[in-house]
Amino acid sequence: MTERPLPATPAPVSDPEEVKSCCATAYGSDAVALLLGDSYHPGGLTLTRRLADALALTAGSRVLDVACGPGTTARLLALEHDARVDGVDLGATTLEAARAATATVGLSDRVRFLHGDAERLPAPDAAYDALVCECALCTFPDKPAAAAEFARVLRPGGRVGITDVTVADGGLPDELAGIAGWVACVADALPADAYAELLRAAGLRVLRVAAHDGALVRMIDRIDARIRLLAMASPARMAEAGVDADAVAPYLSAARRAAAAGDIGYALLVAERPGRG
Amino acid sequence: MADRARDRGEVFVEYTKSVCPVCKVVVDAQVNIRDNKVYLRKRCKEHGWFEALVYGDAQLYTDSTRFNKPGTLPLAFQTEVKDGCPSDCGLCPEHKQHACLGIIEVNTGCNLDCPICFADSGHQPDGYSITREQCARMLDTFVEAEGEPEVVMFSGGEPTIHKDILTFVEMATDRPIKIVNINTNGIRLATDRRFVAALAALNGRGGTTVNVYLQFDGFDEATHRAIRGGDLRERKRRALGNCAEAGLTVTLVAAVERDLNDHELGDIIEFGIDHPAVHAVTFQPVTHSGRHVEFAPLTRLTNSDVMEMITEQRPDWFRPGDFVPVPCCFPTCRSVTYLLVDRKADRTDVVPLPRLVDVDDYLDYVSNRVLPDPGLRASLERLWSASAFMNAPDTMEGLAAATADAECAACGIDLPRAAKDLGDKVFMIVVQDFLDPYTLNVKQLMKCCVEEITPDGRIIPFCAYNSVGYREQVRARMSGVEVADVVPNARPLADVTVASPYGSRIARTERAPEQDDEPGVAPDHTNVGRRAVEEP
Repeated sequence: MTERPLPATPAPVSDPEEVKSCCATAYGSDAVALLLGDSYHPGGLTLTRRLADALALTAGSRVLDVACGPGTTARLLALEHDARVDGVDLGATTLEAARAATATVGLSDRVRFLHGDAERLPAPDAAYDALVCECALCTFPDKPAAAAEFARVLRPGGRVGITDVTVADGGLPDELAGIAGWVACVADALPADAYAELLRAAGLRVLRVAAHDGALVRMIDRIDARIRLLAMASPARMAEAGVDADAVAPYLSAARRAAAAGDIGYALLVAERPGRG
Repeated sequence: MADRARDRGEVFVEYTKSVCPVCKVVVDAQVNIRDNKVYLRKRCKEHGWFEALVYGDAQLYTDSTRFNKPGTLPLAFQTEVKDGCPSDCGLCPEHKQHACLGIIEVNTGCNLDCPICFADSGHQPDGYSITREQCARMLDTFVEAEGEPEVVMFSGGEPTIHKDILTFVEMATDRPIKIVNINTNGIRLATDRRFVAALAALNGRGGTTVNVYLQFDGFDEATHRAIRGGDLRERKRRALGNCAEAGLTVTLVAAVERDLNDHELGDIIEFGIDHPAVHAVTFQPVTHSGRHVEFAPLTRLTNSDVMEMITEQRPDWFRPGDFVPVPCCFPTCRSVTYLLVDRKADRTDVVPLPRLVDVDDYLDYVSNRVLPDPGLRASLERLWSASAFMNAPDTMEGLAAATADAECAACGIDLPRAAKDLGDKVFMIVVQDFLDPYTLNVKQLMKCCVEEITPDGRIIPFCAYNSVGYREQVRARMSGVEVADVVPNARPLADVTVASPYGSRIARTERAPEQDDEPGVAPDHTNVGRRAVEEP
């Protein structure tokens, strides 16, 4: 799969393997980086901190960050919770950038990055005290397999923290169908309860399900703001990355309307692997 | 049937001190939240209960507490702690912040007699003007306290009618002062182009930026008549034209009164964005000190009301959260945003900077987290400060750094040049609610960073100066004419006040003259000098 500029006319993606690598490629591409910035997921560092606070971390805790992106969360967990963190991602370029950024701040001894797939995590059983997965579970084609992997790599008593895009029970509103082609997470997102059910089915005990819909609205605003800033400051760069501000605007408006109507949202879930650690 | 215990209809959130708006005696005060609004209530033994709205959105008020930066010690204090806040101004060693901005009032006279004027100025024969020697002393006091002061604002009265005003500005540029502002009604700027040119010639002298702070309340004739007593629209237009021609940067300053000009906020911003001389707008809910129109304390305008109205009046441009509290002073006193402006043929787009950078993460001083980029905090601190002024080098560097960071974080490429070029596309909006004798909260006063510099060498928080009795004290000493304490023109006080010679309100019955040498400012009734419990 080659890089897909946003928002190119969506091509339907049917093969699960293709979705995964496409999603990883899309997140590794310039256009996505351009629009979303360092902290790719809704809620930014604030929500990440809230998630981290719910994981019962102690100094030296071993944490796995699934779909770690450029490693912002992994470094935050190391700095603020004194954790030892492994980040896993499918995008080779993203991992290189993550390693470089981590070396720059002198955290390479505590934060490592591994190439790997959420449905086949490169880790032994019960290896981690905690696991985080931000705005990514929705993109995994085989969600039950991913949830089972989460449970497998956690030690008994270990916690998993998830933030993700949610949709209302009725599914995605029609006017967002157009976005679904290029933002896979929206296409494959579930209601918050369905995520909880996935975790339960994997043998995890769900401790918390909380709505953070405002985070999604702010994310949409941020993308909008970045597009306009770039159109102002470096229009050539925008064209190079294949982003047309006027073409994106209607999608953003539709997304904002859907968020206001409660058709899409954002949720934080915390679950625990039963048993004593 | 037995009476059932009932809950109080409010949440008690703060215990503090304030003053009686009638007699200026220091009294205990409490801050309560009702119906998502924040009120300050207090009781004077002699004059009874007083209550005023201090913030229109309780959620924002409580959320803002984390935007509270540790204060900086000034190099020198001018007074000692004796009776406690607010009677020892100032600055006394218990003050929690240095002065970001020092105001020098050069006179009490003015070429207007506005119905709204916190300084109670006008065509008055019995006021005062400072001399060059006094100005020098005031500037030196400020330099002694600050080393390299950020901002001096010349005010009045009307500073441009002082015969020595250009000399005063020159004297400021001789000292290590970064920014000088002239706070003016604009009449002389409109009518005397040589004066404008002379002022512009001082801009940049000795590395000091000279800016104009232009009173500008709106576009309706009714607004001008109600706030300024006449139609000044043409004069404002000419003043701005002359400033643009001379290359002077202007901040528009609107005094906003409820139901009077609060519908014009969006228009003022849009006008400012379009005018070549204007780079910022400051909205100030009318300070109910000095002279003003009658108001209702429980429904007065507050910062959150102004921010809400801005959002309502320009929904395409603004959303809640676009303004961020300023952490150098108390965070409920001032909120600021910066807009990146994109003028297109058919429309103007703006991007509020807080949507690009997580300003609130970086200016959170309470949770004390490790910051991903400490340099960005330093840049944002320069922008979210009472000493930030457009076109001053510090502010512009902060903007370039913060914007470049937003861009680099986004695309991983080096864009500092693009960010620098954004300079003339950036527009600043400030919302500032000053304390008045009704709303005065000693908690806020103690961390105030906007100060009046007095001719006798004190540095007094602006809101203490206007609310507690210092203004009256300084004017009386400087002019030799007795000045009665000004009382707010509040509806509930209509029966206990009469008009002063300057058009403000004063207490109907003067207190019995005290026999001491001087009664002092704000005698304290919160500490009565007794045991808490009487001895048996």
